[in-house]
Amino acid sequence: MSFRRFLLKRTLIAALLTLIAVSVIFATLRMLPADPFSGLVASGSLTPDEVDQIRAMYGLDEPIYVQYVKYIQNLFTFQFGISLTQQRPVGEIIIPALVNTMVLLLPALVATAIVSSLAGMYAGWNRGSWFEQSSIVVTTVFRATPIFVTGILFLIIFSYGLGWLPAFGMRSPLANPDGYLETYLSVDFLKHYLLPFAATVLFYSGDFLMLARNSVVERMGSEFLMLHRAKGLSEMEQLGRAGRNSLLPLVTYFALRTGMLFQGVITLEVVFAWPGIGRALVQAILNQDYPTVQAAVFIMALAVIIMNLTADVAYAKLDPTVEAGDV
Amino acid sequence: MSSGYFLDPETVIERLRSQGGRAWRTLRFVLRDNSAKLGFVIIVTFGFMGIFGPMLAPYHPIEDTLQQGGSMMRLQPPGGKAVLGTTSFGKDILSQFLAGARPTLIVGLFGGVGTGVVGFLVGLTSGYFGGRVDEFLMRLTDLTFALPFLPMALVILSFVTPSIWIITAVLVTFLWKMPARVIRSEVMTVKERTFVKSARARGAGHLRTMFLHVAPNVLGIGFLYTAYAVGWSIVAGASLAFLGFGDPTTTSWGRMLEQVFRSGAIRVAWWWVLPPAIGIGAVTTGVFLVGRAFEEIVNPDLQTEQE
Repeated sequence: MSFRRFLLKRTLIAALLTLIAVSVIFATLRMLPADPFSGLVASGSLTPDEVDQIRAMYGLDEPIYVQYVKYIQNLFTFQFGISLTQQRPVGEIIIPALVNTMVLLLPALVATAIVSSLAGMYAGWNRGSWFEQSSIVVTTVFRATPIFVTGILFLIIFSYGLGWLPAFGMRSPLANPDGYLETYLSVDFLKHYLLPFAATVLFYSGDFLMLARNSVVERMGSEFLMLHRAKGLSEMEQLGRAGRNSLLPLVTYFALRTGMLFQGVITLEVVFAWPGIGRALVQAILNQDYPTVQAAVFIMALAVIIMNLTADVAYAKLDPTVEAGDV
Repeated sequence: MSSGYFLDPETVIERLRSQGGRAWRTLRFVLRDNSAKLGFVIIVTFGFMGIFGPMLAPYHPIEDTLQQGGSMMRLQPPGGKAVLGTTSFGKDILSQFLAGARPTLIVGLFGGVGTGVVGFLVGLTSGYFGGRVDEFLMRLTDLTFALPFLPMALVILSFVTPSIWIITAVLVTFLWKMPARVIRSEVMTVKERTFVKSARARGAGHLRTMFLHVAPNVLGIGFLYTAYAVGWSIVAGASLAFLGFGDPTTTSWGRMLEQVFRSGAIRVAWWWVLPPAIGIGAVTTGVFLVGRAFEEIVNPDLQTEQE
């Protein structure tokens, strides 16, 4: 199978998966017994007639298959509808939240991928050293501990205990920045940024460290390294050669992690009241704001599918030994 | 000879016994690693607390409200009547901590074992039969990969009243894919080996070949992923509880953290935060430390000579 056919097949599977995933989300949300408006009738703020009007406005009075087709059309054109509780387009709620999440997570993930992988390669090269032992134990502790527990511990130490850093949100209540540049490039933002950033970096360090370390260890006895040693290359040069060979699993893993990022830090966003997509989702679920829930879950699913596809393709492209037909 | 070419009880018992011996030797080997020893001690302590914790608790974690001089003991720092202090509702934190180990243990254990068993069976079937069966099961795992776990779990738990068992079921539904994929690829290499082919040639049925010849060779990986799944389940259960989607009738460690966070007492009441936070962190770390040491044995690529 040529690479183009492989790419085509994978893309088709990804598209199909998206459609199925989206249908499952639709079915799950329609199974919800509580109609978000019935609460309003019970509390007396709406008459049943008004509820019918609103239901018609949201298209809830149409047959289920019409709703389904419209829902699919809207999702793939990124029309997420109107929020039930905030009376504004869901896009206006979700997109800034998505940006906030990415501003927090992408730098953290890139930082930890680079630093932890290098540390991991060094650890694998010096197998049995105290550096290997202690780096594995430390990163395992942070990898194993749920990210929100690390976040809470950071909060009570650095915010409430020592009072060094703010505990809440993305900027202080008085700051009222204009535009993305002013929002993200300020000392105030940096102070709010440090704790969740550190928690994310530490949480994801363990996997990168172990992957890099394992692949260096696996290659240590291999013949090409013996050749390099015989050629008289220095320790560091040899490590460089071994490390280049371990890039493949790291790149693949990085792509997979990026896809799962948004769901991975939902609890962290809640702990630090970071106005990201995870926190928006939790609030929307608690408020029974289904259009927002739909949109947030859709974006999270899409991220996973796209990044899985990227990982597959990167793997096939980067590893010459993988025959695309076998994948 | 009792071993006819079908699965009879005697053969099964004999195989299980030899597997048991192997497991014991492996455990002893794993425990030569110092961090695995530490992890093992943590797990045993946690198991003990999960079983006897509620009996050891000096007060009832929810019903007893501690009084002092006629008024409720709100947010008392550790000392006196309440060894680890009290919550803002006057409940004893030591009692909540001891009782909270049990729901955490149940979700972790059943979620993890369920995930391991389902994943193992799916991976075994998929890898052994290949072809259409494999194609179907692997697309199913792709689908569960595409559905984001925590968001979907939150949506599902928002319209059923969460109980420990429903939470466990949700965890297994979303986590089985992890062991399934790994087991499948292991099975695919094992089934090409000579002894499997010769068993088939001697007339062993599919079921027998699968469980007696292939399965024992991937059991190690199966246990490894079951151990990790216990860790993931504890993390996921605690995360759900922290977000307010836990079993409302029990006191788990995740729920303790939710209450201290929601009530705003987190600003001052470090004695309310530390026991559940350290508890969750220690247990999951213990599981991963043991898993890591086990992985060094199971993964043959890592067995190069130490320099």
